[in-house]
Amino acid sequence: MITTMLLLFPVAIVAGVMGAILGLGGGVILVPALTLLFKVPMRTAVAASTVSIIATSTGAAVAYLNDHFTNIRVAMWLEMGTAVGATTGALVAGYLNQRVLFILFGVLLGYSGYNMLKTRGKERDRQVVPDRMSRRLRLAGSFYDPALGRRVEYQVTHSIPGLVIMYFSGAAAGLLGIGAGIFKVPAMDQVMGLPFKASTATSNFMIGVTAASGAVVYFARGDVQPLVTGPVVLGVLIGALIGARLMVKMKATTVRKMFIPLILYTAAVMIYKGVVRS
Amino acid sequence: MNQEPAKIMTIESILARVLRLGSIIAGVLLAIGLSTMPLTGAPYPRRLIMAGLITLLLTPVLRVLVAGVVFVKERDWLFALFCLVVLCALTAGVTLGLVV
Repeated sequence: MITTMLLLFPVAIVAGVMGAILGLGGGVILVPALTLLFKVPMRTAVAASTVSIIATSTGAAVAYLNDHFTNIRVAMWLEMGTAVGATTGALVAGYLNQRVLFILFGVLLGYSGYNMLKTRGKERDRQVVPDRMSRRLRLAGSFYDPALGRRVEYQVTHSIPGLVIMYFSGAAAGLLGIGAGIFKVPAMDQVMGLPFKASTATSNFMIGVTAASGAVVYFARGDVQPLVTGPVVLGVLIGALIGARLMVKMKATTVRKMFIPLILYTAAVMIYKGVVRS
Repeated sequence: MNQEPAKIMTIESILARVLRLGSIIAGVLLAIGLSTMPLTGAPYPRRLIMAGLITLLLTPVLRVLVAGVVFVKERDWLFALFCLVVLCALTAGVTLGLVV
């Protein structure tokens, strides 16, 4: 038991570092690691992973907020979509064909991964023209990027399509238990025109809130096993603190290059689940 | 962003403080719980771990609540409303999850 706990720790730290840098919950890595390597039951693994999303988000957000990488206004606007989406997703979960959904969302992810692959290495200063909603909500932001050695000022566009995508991303999380941040980052980066580092930091900030409502339910059902969740969460928390410090100094192109394999992998996992039956 | 002299702290620093406090308390509770676990068979390390996890769980909810209060203070009614919508959706999500 003690050796298992000690082994869980480094895995969790790596998951926390990756999750913090990429703005993801890391469930797609943690859940298979827990179930396959440590023989943890699926329900316990999913519960541990959900609580650790909060750890990634909370741990990394402190650094991102202080460095103004997080766009709070964009986050609050989009959180409405994810929170309402997650609730309605859970509501209709029984009535929809999970396999079709897995394939559908998997293909969508694969497509945005492909788009990211096409535009990799071009961390251009995009000329984003803000839409009316973005102006009204004052969504534009700026941060000092140590990797570039200068301030990055940016505008935000497609605020309403962004909100709609967040609704579906939240619904996907509620329906499939997967996809905390993996949809949010491409939506902000490719649709709304945020710089990549602002996208991952803002996604990181948002994922904790959606995960919290799911986590309460797992707690109430008794799926949160302190001996598994405890070490995982502590490890992820420490990893997130390290990851956030690393990301601040990393080049946006590097962060994007790290993101691409993970989005393609997640897409493959989702399609596989849909085709082979989860 | 805006230059109101009375306001020294930005919303970023306020929320960062909330999250830092939450993660420190949760981290300390977890660390004590986990490190005393192998030494004693007593039930309290288990409770410490659970307390740490619950602290962590409440932190993002508190963060939305505090953001809402800041927006109200700034008379940014629209964003205060957004926070309220998020809190309602969270409550509905939890209720739904517990009932279903």
